[in-house]
Amino acid sequence: MNFDLNFIGILIGAIMASSVPLILAASGELIAERSGVLNLGVEGMMIIGAISGFALMIVTDNLFFAVIGSMLSGLIISLIFGLLTQSLLTNHVATGLALTIFGIGMSAMIGKNFVGIPGKEFPLLLDNLKESIPFLGPIFFGHSIILYFAFGLPFLTNYFLKKTKTGLIIRAVGDSPTSASNQGINVTLVRYSCILYGGAMCGLAGAYLSLIYTPQWIENMTGGRGWIALALVVFATWSPIKVLIGALIFGGITILQLHMQAAGLRIPVQLLSALPYIMTIIVLVVISRDSRKIKLNTPTSLGQIFYKEK
Amino acid sequence: MNTKLKVSEISKIYPGCIANDKVSLEFGSGKIYALLGENGAGKSTLVKILSGVVKPDEGEVFLNNESIKLNSPLDAKKNNIGMVFQHFNLFETLSVFENLSIDSDKKDEDLRDLVNGILEKYNFKIDLDIPVLNLSAGQKQKVEIIRCLIRNPKVLIMDEPTSVLTEQETDDLFISLKQFSKDGILIIYITHKLKEVLSLCDEVAVMRKGKVVSVSNTIDEKIESLANKMVGENLNTIKKKINNFKNSEEILKISNLNFKSDDPYETNLNNLNLSLKKGECLGIAGISGNGQNELFQILSGEIITEGSSIMFRNKEIGKLNPRERREYLMAFSPEDRISQAAVPELKIYENVALNNFKSSNFFEKGLVNEKKIKEHSKKILSNFSVNTDNVELKSQFLSGGNLQKLIIGRELITSPELLVCFNPTWGLDVGAINYIHETLIQINEQGKSSILISTDNDELLKLSDRICVIYKGKLSKIMNADTVTAEKLGILMGGGTID
Repeated sequence: MNFDLNFIGILIGAIMASSVPLILAASGELIAERSGVLNLGVEGMMIIGAISGFALMIVTDNLFFAVIGSMLSGLIISLIFGLLTQSLLTNHVATGLALTIFGIGMSAMIGKNFVGIPGKEFPLLLDNLKESIPFLGPIFFGHSIILYFAFGLPFLTNYFLKKTKTGLIIRAVGDSPTSASNQGINVTLVRYSCILYGGAMCGLAGAYLSLIYTPQWIENMTGGRGWIALALVVFATWSPIKVLIGALIFGGITILQLHMQAAGLRIPVQLLSALPYIMTIIVLVVISRDSRKIKLNTPTSLGQIFYKEK
Repeated sequence: MNTKLKVSEISKIYPGCIANDKVSLEFGSGKIYALLGENGAGKSTLVKILSGVVKPDEGEVFLNNESIKLNSPLDAKKNNIGMVFQHFNLFETLSVFENLSIDSDKKDEDLRDLVNGILEKYNFKIDLDIPVLNLSAGQKQKVEIIRCLIRNPKVLIMDEPTSVLTEQETDDLFISLKQFSKDGILIIYITHKLKEVLSLCDEVAVMRKGKVVSVSNTIDEKIESLANKMVGENLNTIKKKINNFKNSEEILKISNLNFKSDDPYETNLNNLNLSLKKGECLGIAGISGNGQNELFQILSGEIITEGSSIMFRNKEIGKLNPRERREYLMAFSPEDRISQAAVPELKIYENVALNNFKSSNFFEKGLVNEKKIKEHSKKILSNFSVNTDNVELKSQFLSGGNLQKLIIGRELITSPELLVCFNPTWGLDVGAINYIHETLIQINEQGKSSILISTDNDELLKLSDRICVIYKGKLSKIMNADTVTAEKLGILMGGGTID
């Protein structure tokens, strides 16, 4: 029994680790969307973060630089999106899609020389406790600092949006940019900031993949996680806490169905692989079915181009 | 505290239109000023300049004899100029208090005390912690006003504030405005409603085509004199003869209709019953948000109901969609001209084509018969005096009045037996309102019926043969229009009863 419990603990630890990139990317995108910006470039920003984090680690041999660098590169690529959509008033959807295509291509190009190089070990906190405490040990200890940050982030984001003045301004801009502008709020500045923050978080999410989760560079290694993150934000109806729940369900079922596949269950593999997507959507739709709350959380101006009257 | 505001030689030119042409005006505190003009006369541009939203091409603004720069809304706030826009500048999904705190530097507790003080002083009743989208239009306006008041304004500008208010709310607003004026706030009141100028304001400046054409004391003015100055020509007033339809043929009958919505922000309709005779106009009054939207959608087929609950010319139509209902000769003019009645990005003739039904032959073998549609559209434009003959023009470039004429024309050119319209003159100027009213009277004279859902009581009393009131999704008793007064309507609209 003791062994089984410990195994479940390890399983939960693995689920947590697999949901980190989703939480980070979705939390970043959530802030951007709450300000009314629909950035479909999440996948692109993540993969750029993944390659630049990995490359910087190899080049500088410094994990701190690698992590900071990945965030900066995510930020810079999101700046392109900002310039296009906020200053040149291009369509959010098309620009975001272009950003993803650009990011995937760019990362493949940079990453050519980094294929096959083994990554470096990332320091894990209190790794010794992981072994010594059964069940709870593998859940709470032996993770990277980024994981702890990721699990705190939705709560911070929730507090930030609900309780701080800046959060209020972001929600106001997402609700009605015209009204915000008439109130003297610099809508463009607010939206730029939210886009850049979202970019940095996506960069970090990518770095988590290439530095910690599977420490190496593989082309296209984000494998659609950016799209999942985007979907999470929408199905979680823009609530940071529900994003966390959704990411855990998705991560959880992904890991579980792998174990089920390994156990040789007589269920078609395709069905098992589809399970995480289906279950996440079902659960999020069920827990978010309060139409009153949806109306209050949905950024009314999402995806709308804003320009000031002259 | 004496405030003097002066605008001097203000000009603003937009491509193809001079919005303000050397406008000069002077205002002083202690009085309420009316800025009167038709839509497009340049009033809104002028107040946008005063509130820093739009920059003038030329001219200066003086506050207490000092020239002030109004480059942004922040500048207007710094100079204590408060502005309540016609279209509310509120954040619908935020709470009332969040809306107020967003542009205040005060601590939350201090701000709350201040706001509560204002609520008490002016006898406003608003829950500060519910989202704005749960408020009525009148309450939303009060939030806007409070937002100005917490900054101790010297000048308060109200842009067409009563266009969304009920009669009772309007009365309340006027009481508040008079109180503000007594407290030393200079009030500039923008409107195209003549009655309001006379009952509220001390001085009136009339604008026409970007220019100030007259400044006078309101005591020296009458409705007719102001109307003529505003329009620049003599208007004739219209009056309808109320008929008795007791023995006429019944054209529409709604019996025991219920509608329950899943959306908490929609109104449920309870046990609706009404009948409409041939050639009759039935007016439905009510404060907006009491089920008018839902009633309109039920009539138009946007909401489907039990087939037998709506009988039109002895046919069950409850299950039919809007296009099918049009085939049965019903016609509809929705409230929202831009988003419901017409597609602003489409050309005039394309919008006309949207209304097609089988008999119109606009489409043949899946192809658009452009020539036919254009001819048809031209006919509408000329028959209904739309101020253009260019059917290629995008609908968004039509003024509200012209767009409404196009929409009503599009509906009427097929000679429907019943026209259902919802606030057909909302936000229109006197000339266009007159035209629409004449048209609506005409169709009754031709023996066609109409249902007029409106929040404008004057309009209802002018056009209806019978009137009822919708309140919280329920219809009142249907009364003959000649027995109805504005007061009676007011009581019923507020949920009261009369015998």
